[in-house]
Amino acid sequence: MNAIKPSLASRLSTKSPWLYRINAGSCNGCDVELATTAIIPRYDVERLGCQYCGSPKHADIVLITGPLTARVKDKVLRLFDEIPEPKVTVAVGVCPISGGVFRESYAIAGPLDKYIPIDVNIPGCPPRPQAIIEGIAKAIAVWQSRI
Amino acid sequence: MSFFLPVLLRNLFQGPSTEAFPFAEAYTPAAMRARVSFNPDSCALCRVCARMCPAGAIQLEKRPDGLEFILWHNACVFCGLCVHYCDSEALHQTDDWHLSHLQAEKYAMVEKAVVKFQKCSTCGKQKMPAPLPLMAKLYPGLPADEIERLRAMCPQCRKAESAPVQGETP
Repeated sequence: MNAIKPSLASRLSTKSPWLYRINAGSCNGCDVELATTAIIPRYDVERLGCQYCGSPKHADIVLITGPLTARVKDKVLRLFDEIPEPKVTVAVGVCPISGGVFRESYAIAGPLDKYIPIDVNIPGCPPRPQAIIEGIAKAIAVWQSRI
Repeated sequence: MSFFLPVLLRNLFQGPSTEAFPFAEAYTPAAMRARVSFNPDSCALCRVCARMCPAGAIQLEKRPDGLEFILWHNACVFCGLCVHYCDSEALHQTDDWHLSHLQAEKYAMVEKAVVKFQKCSTCGKQKMPAPLPLMAKLYPGLPADEIERLRAMCPQCRKAESAPVQGETP
């Protein structure tokens, strides 16, 4: 029974993952719902210990919206590589999951899981804030098992 | 100050405005448009749902004894066109929005059921099902047992039965 005890900092950090948003060509519907989830006191995702951050280098949980358009694909993949491991990827809305109404369009490079390993899917067009909170709670559980 | 005091007093008695959701049930409006449910007993296999679906979420695939209705929730945009155009009331939109799932379950998020072809009660030929809600709309005012009898027939036999050619006995 000589398991290495995790440091205090890493034990505490499991309680406060930082969220980072990537817009992969979204119509902004899901982005508005994500902003609603974070900013409006009625939903308040920060109760779960999460916080939106502005830099990919600080992120723990990545929320990706949009169907991954051909134009934005390389930029999204480059940004995704900047996020340090361990990270949890959440696809928000039907677009990153399946392409939604844009499926099989010439302008779409997705679905996203062809290029990026996804952990949690939150379908909806857009998903309501409660559904996003539910998905983030699942992502936090995945993240705690990974760290 | 005079403006702020009533707000302070109201907030004291109102309590927090944050929903308790992940730790308690969330409020769901009665008219919430979320997960689509399918009732195979009411389906007439007209395929109007698959034709109307803007996201291509609905497919009807051939099976030996009928057609299989497949709806992928990960493509459905909750627009409600399939429900609106379903004359036989086989499709309904429920208020269940708990659709988030892990990646392993991605392709298990489907609503599917096989709608079987039927045999005509008169000529014995294979026919599409004629569901009750649709037949009740087509034959308003007819007694229930008469509608049941017409439902079991194929379109040709039903036509001959409901509009017999003059001179022939029905």
